[in-house]
Amino acid sequence: MSRLSFRPRPLDIHKKLPIVKSVKDFEDDDTPTTSATRSSQLSRLSSSIDFDNHASTGNEVNPVPSSKKVASEIPTPEYVVVDTYERDYSRTFSQPTSYLRGRGARAELGEFIEYDLDNEDEDWLEEFNQEKKILSSERFESLLFRFEVLDHKARERAGVLTTALGSPIPVLLQLDAASEAVQAQSIKYSIFHSVYSYWKEKRERWQKPILRRLQPPPPVNDTNPYNVFRPREKAHRLHTRRMQRRENNVQSFEKLRQVRRNLEQAKIIMEALIKREERKREAMETEVSLQRLQMKYKNEMELVDDSLALPGFPPVSSKFGSTEEEFVDSDEIANFRPRSRSSATQSLPYSNSNFVSAPPGSFKQESRRRPVPNTWLHKMDPLEPILLFTKPLVPEKLAAAGIVPPANLSKSFTTPTVNKFRGRIGRGGRIIFDRWNPLLHSPIDFGSSSYVP
Amino acid sequence: MGSIDPPRAEQNGTASAVVADPDQKPAAGGAMPPPAAVKHSNGTAAEPDAPTKRRRMSVLPLEVGTRVMCRWRDGKYHPVKVIERRKLNPGDPNDYEYYVHYTEFNRRLDEWVKLEQLDLDSVETVVDEKVEDKVTGLKMTRHQKRKIDETHVEGHEELDAASLREHEEFTKVKNIATIELGRYEIETWYFSPFPPEYNDCSKLYFCEFCLNFMKRKEQLQRHMKKCDLKHPPGDEIYRSGTLSMFEVDGKKNKVYGQNLCYLAKLFLDHKTLYYDVDLFLFYVLCECDDRGCHMVGYFSKEKHSEESYNLACILTLPPYQRKGYGKFLIAFSYELSKKEGKVGTPERPLSDLGLLSYKGYWTRVLLDILKKHKGNISIKELSDMTAIKADDILNTLQSLDLIQYRKGQHVICADPKVLDRHLKAAGRGGLEVDVSKLIWTPYREQG
Repeated sequence: MSRLSFRPRPLDIHKKLPIVKSVKDFEDDDTPTTSATRSSQLSRLSSSIDFDNHASTGNEVNPVPSSKKVASEIPTPEYVVVDTYERDYSRTFSQPTSYLRGRGARAELGEFIEYDLDNEDEDWLEEFNQEKKILSSERFESLLFRFEVLDHKARERAGVLTTALGSPIPVLLQLDAASEAVQAQSIKYSIFHSVYSYWKEKRERWQKPILRRLQPPPPVNDTNPYNVFRPREKAHRLHTRRMQRRENNVQSFEKLRQVRRNLEQAKIIMEALIKREERKREAMETEVSLQRLQMKYKNEMELVDDSLALPGFPPVSSKFGSTEEEFVDSDEIANFRPRSRSSATQSLPYSNSNFVSAPPGSFKQESRRRPVPNTWLHKMDPLEPILLFTKPLVPEKLAAAGIVPPANLSKSFTTPTVNKFRGRIGRGGRIIFDRWNPLLHSPIDFGSSSYVP
Repeated sequence: MGSIDPPRAEQNGTASAVVADPDQKPAAGGAMPPPAAVKHSNGTAAEPDAPTKRRRMSVLPLEVGTRVMCRWRDGKYHPVKVIERRKLNPGDPNDYEYYVHYTEFNRRLDEWVKLEQLDLDSVETVVDEKVEDKVTGLKMTRHQKRKIDETHVEGHEELDAASLREHEEFTKVKNIATIELGRYEIETWYFSPFPPEYNDCSKLYFCEFCLNFMKRKEQLQRHMKKCDLKHPPGDEIYRSGTLSMFEVDGKKNKVYGQNLCYLAKLFLDHKTLYYDVDLFLFYVLCECDDRGCHMVGYFSKEKHSEESYNLACILTLPPYQRKGYGKFLIAFSYELSKKEGKVGTPERPLSDLGLLSYKGYWTRVLLDILKKHKGNISIKELSDMTAIKADDILNTLQSLDLIQYRKGQHVICADPKVLDRHLKAAGRGGLEVDVSKLIWTPYREQG
């Protein structure tokens, strides 16, 4: 249905909607161009009304107004009046002035003969009576009803009441028990015996109680549409039939077993994972302690180095040169290095801005000879974990990024790193670019001694 | 109306229909007996046009799935499809009667017809493939599936293809053709899953008070002598004039509830008797006289509905239809919802008749309010006032084109003239529910 050229916003049911009492209201506040749409709306309204009229007269809701034929689909109800009605139903009812209250169900009231003879019973009785009045149908009905009830009670006592239809329901009522129970009815034993045999035969043939009230409901997982009135537990049962099929059977057992297997596997994996992580932690701790040791050696090495210039420090047997040297606290070194350089820069030739051509050896040596500033040595806390998560650096990659690893002071004096100062590796492995004064070619923000704004 | 109704006359007793009086047929057809019917009525008698006869012999007996024209009770011929067939006389290989579906009509008009009602000249020899293959049961071709979808759209919207197929397969042939209930003998509309002991009969006799059903009239008459009920076995909760409403608890009166369901299913296509009646309350509407309270219709309601349904099934028995009882039942269900302080909606799918009644009710209630109301109103407020679910309100107003989008907002168009026309179209309100006469407390679980 093409309504409007644009799609209106969805309607909010909580929003107060104005009620327009007259179609004219539209005209008043609408622009003249909309009069055409308004009239079309009106015609649509009226056509829909016509259609509704048609629908109501034809008593048919039909989206296509033209199909008159379908209108007759809903037929005039067919019924005829039963001529024996007035005889069958007696005029014995008078309404009390108060509203009627329901009594208990018939089963609870007891005396009512719930059973009605069926065709089979009637045929048998007719044959049994053979034109003589041996047994009245009322008496017969009552006997069958009693047998049914007694049999039900017998099964109840025996604890074999079936909760669901499906398997044959046995007959438990025995002849002598039955005769004892209905003794009060003065009845010839031969008649009684015949009726009992008839009932028992029928009951065994049906394989279920012949009184409908006593028949158990079909099992919940039965899907036969002919079996009706299944029990339903309100709280747990789900609504659709498909969900109903989730029953306590082999299939669901297999499903649950699968779930269990999966969970156990997940548990094994998780345990392995925990083990792995523990190993990793151990490895890390080992590495950290190793690094601490190395730091210690390094410091001692520095001191050894310095001791050359500063007598008084004990000489240290050095076994440097391992690759682990890269992990020394470069930050600290970097911190002190520029200071040392600030004085050194003066002497360097400024052939290019890169300082590559600077003779490293001389500078190195010079800086190394310089007295070590007090600060960094004393600030050093030997217990502080250093370089915990650094990985071994790939020198090629660093070189490609223009980052130069901090100079390994102890190892080589030939590294030209100090002056080529674009990026460096900070403590903790971060890459740090220091601000650099292009005129002075000195780092900004370091010591105030070298910083000239 | 019995005179123009040959199908029904036959249905009343299948046993007696076997020896159907051939003279009666043309008379029953009314003033215009179609020529084909006359021809067929005398069976093997001398036939003037040989081709027709030859053709006829070749198609008989008709296969299930055959499309043919059939004389309906209006005396006219309508296209039908053969759904099922059964032998009448074991001796005669061609002596069948056929269960046909009138392709123009709802399934409720499907019926057993005699050969003479069929116009064999119109037989389409194309038989739907695989329909006759009964062994395959539920297996259907895509073609057939589509056909079902096409021909039975109404009321099926919420069923998926599989359950629809299942539904149609199991219910394709009506088992009970007629019932006697109190004063009326009524033609049934749909299949109902009566216990297997009732498979061998096409007419059932219901006690109109306890709704027990029997196969023979004598059984009913004997039952009536002892039946101690004169009204439904529950509490009367409403009485106005001769009209009374009874509330029957499905748990306390299990057999009654089941009987009522069996009976109702004969007139409701998509009613399900899958679950027990314990969880339902049955509201049985009765007309009372000195013979007792005669059931007119009923609706059932879940004791606790998670989907806010205030009605599960609703039925007005055919003899009482078109008298406003259905509208009364609907209005009553909303009055109960108001007392509960809840909004409610009928369980879906609605049948064609149900949808019609509900649309009429919603239109009347809402438009009456809109006519009187001053100032703005929200859908939610309408819902609170009427206990009608907001979705139903929205659908109703939108289908009547009363909600318009103006200048960036929705407005309700309530021009009195337009409203009056809609109200007129929606029909009379039926019998009024006098709320002051409703003595009722919402159901509460005992214990």
